[in-house]
Amino acid sequence: MFSNPYLSVLIIAVVTVVFIVVCSYGLGSVARWAVRMRGASPKQQESAFAGYFFAAPWIVGFIIFVIVPLSFSLYWSFTDFRIGSGSVASWKGLENYRDILFNDEGFRASVVNTLYLTVIGLPLQMGVALFLAVLLNQRRPGERVFRMAFYLPVILGFNTAVLLCWRLMLNTGTGIINQIIREVSIAVPLFGYLTRALIYGQEIITGFFLGLNTGKYNLLMRVLEAGFPADNRVPLWVQSPLWTKMSVILLMVWGCGTMMLIFLAGLNNIPKELHEAAEVDGATGWQKFWKISFPLLTPYIFYNLVVGLISSLQIFEPIFVLYRDNEPIVSSTISMVYYLWQASFSHFEIGYGSAISWVILVIILVFTLIQFRLQDRWVTYDVY
Amino acid sequence: MNKKLFTLLSVLVLASLVLTACGGAADEPKTLKIYLLDYTPDTIAWLKSDINPAFEAAHPGVTVEITEGSWSGWDTTFAGFFAAGEGPDIINLGSEMNTLYGENLADMESYLGAGAWDEISNFGPALENAKYEGKLRGLPIFTAPRYVFCRTDLATGALPPQNFADWISFAEANSVVDPATNSLTQQALVPVDAGSMADWQWWLLVFYSLGGELYKADGSPNFDSAEALATTQFLLDMRQATYGPAADAVGNLPTGQGSVIDVDDATGKDNGAVCLAHSGWAAPAFDRPVWENISIEPFHGDPANFPNSRPVVLAFNDWLAVADYSQNKELAAEWLKMTFSKEANHKWNETMGLIPARNDAQYGYVADSPQLQREAELAAEYGVGFAGIKEAAKLSTIMQDALGKLITEELTPQEVNDTIQQQYSDALGE
Repeated sequence: MFSNPYLSVLIIAVVTVVFIVVCSYGLGSVARWAVRMRGASPKQQESAFAGYFFAAPWIVGFIIFVIVPLSFSLYWSFTDFRIGSGSVASWKGLENYRDILFNDEGFRASVVNTLYLTVIGLPLQMGVALFLAVLLNQRRPGERVFRMAFYLPVILGFNTAVLLCWRLMLNTGTGIINQIIREVSIAVPLFGYLTRALIYGQEIITGFFLGLNTGKYNLLMRVLEAGFPADNRVPLWVQSPLWTKMSVILLMVWGCGTMMLIFLAGLNNIPKELHEAAEVDGATGWQKFWKISFPLLTPYIFYNLVVGLISSLQIFEPIFVLYRDNEPIVSSTISMVYYLWQASFSHFEIGYGSAISWVILVIILVFTLIQFRLQDRWVTYDVY
Repeated sequence: MNKKLFTLLSVLVLASLVLTACGGAADEPKTLKIYLLDYTPDTIAWLKSDINPAFEAAHPGVTVEITEGSWSGWDTTFAGFFAAGEGPDIINLGSEMNTLYGENLADMESYLGAGAWDEISNFGPALENAKYEGKLRGLPIFTAPRYVFCRTDLATGALPPQNFADWISFAEANSVVDPATNSLTQQALVPVDAGSMADWQWWLLVFYSLGGELYKADGSPNFDSAEALATTQFLLDMRQATYGPAADAVGNLPTGQGSVIDVDDATGKDNGAVCLAHSGWAAPAFDRPVWENISIEPFHGDPANFPNSRPVVLAFNDWLAVADYSQNKELAAEWLKMTFSKEANHKWNETMGLIPARNDAQYGYVADSPQLQREAELAAEYGVGFAGIKEAAKLSTIMQDALGKLITEELTPQEVNDTIQQQYSDALGE
């Protein structure tokens, strides 16, 4: 705005404060006027003024940073707006939506990939989180250290150092994960056999999903033709399109710390008397978990399911950090939000990208509504 | 309460008015902002210690500010600059980005064109990559062609392979798999993206080596040509000769220290590549002993089957462009002139061991280094530009997507090319 950046920042800050004060005063006055019109007493009018005056900064922020961008996004979704095209956005009606839903194979592939990550990744993530929570709930020595260790990935997030570590760990030949698999397989042949069975099963499932993307099942057929994996086969983690999605799931599971804490809170809330009574009746540890803890954890499972489903339907970061620089295989794991990012910020097609974002919103809404509708059938709130 | 509020409001409005008045002073200092991507610490240190102080001394009141970014995620960053119409005055772009961002870049002909700056005639062919619609948008820093570097001490068979069949045989003979880990310990050829061996830039290099043209005479894409099909088939054959079939592929090379074609000092073992099809910056540093055993060649295409084949090195370059939203275009041009003088362009590239874009800056370390000398000769003789690609970002996405399905054998080479042809035609509005 001004050539001196410090002065510019100072002026912007002052103008912002003035703007907020004016908006607050204005909103408070409108509220006072509105209640006065309804015959409120002077005290009620003052209360209305004060309430809206102090709430105004948030309300104004919400309007500016949420409502206005949402409105623009909705408008752009009906246009061909493209950054840097040198032309203004022109109205296209429902054409973007029609293309996304009926013509865009890339978006269809991203939906299939996202569903894979949700259907397979989310239950795994929740299962591991629950398992860790149950372990930590045993009150063994070092519980706090382990709690911190399991939560650490959430704090670390997916930064460059983490990405590099994962890439090294997932290297097919020398990565520590495959090294462990190899060593344990040699020491315990049954483990090796089970691992290869898992590899085979995983590759068949992924081959099927990749076939859904293209409508051709060549790869699935080849996997079946190749037969049961040889003794020295290990997962080709970030290298093969057959393993790209599973690598993302591994990162999802690694970041299950928040779910684990919620489960842990749920386990702590279960009345001890119930377990004590079950012990008196001779219940085993598994019976106590399955018949008492698990049903009483269902509200927490429901919460994690809703939040986890929304999160996995919006998955972006793990794919971005793992495959951003490995483009020929990124299409095998591209998610809906990655596709949205690609359209908006790589191809600059803001209109089309906006339409994708609204389609994603509807998909997430539908899934969430279904979950809320079904919760009565399995979620127990009796004790709470 | 109202009275106090109005008092506060008045004070703030007055303060802002006073400060606004101060902001209008004519002799306000200016900041020239420059955004660079992944340059070496030596380069940045030199710019900050030599170029910027000299520029600031010559332009009192101007401060030069360098921001360092990364090629990972650059497109999101640039999208933000252009969407906001605000950001650095000078941005760092790659070869193919002249068409991608052209409309958002300033026409710098009046500052840097032949009529305004004599020295522009000293720039080599890389200057074309810094133009959009025939107008200069900035200046190129270096030329970094993609060569084929080969380890003569590791290779079995004649080097370099002269046609596609030779390359396939070479890949089969020179790729070594460790049965214990079911992974490669030696890879015959490491092109851009070693794992997939199917990056779009590698595809384009092979395609150009067959004499292929990206567009037909009417401007439509040429992915339905015989050269395009042969290229796609070659990529698949090479991938399979190296990694085996998709459903039973072996693991990739382990990550080593330094260039993939070098020797790991820590272990004394080779990093695993026999040949590397990449830019010079992916090759070992010039003082490494391994250079005794490295040859530098162009990619020869497939003269046995395609008579128009020609040796090719795909010439990439980085360049600095001036954004159209910049309020400091003249200052930006002055900074570019200073930074792209003969000596400065030479020095900049010396810090990175690359070939300067200015012909007259190719002296000293360029002439003294047999490797750079060879690279410069090959670039001059066989260089093909990586520019002028319409809708480059979309083509990249379309090709990467289709080539990804090639290596998994989800699509046949013919289907891959049909897909690219169809989708790219749609993207171009054909």
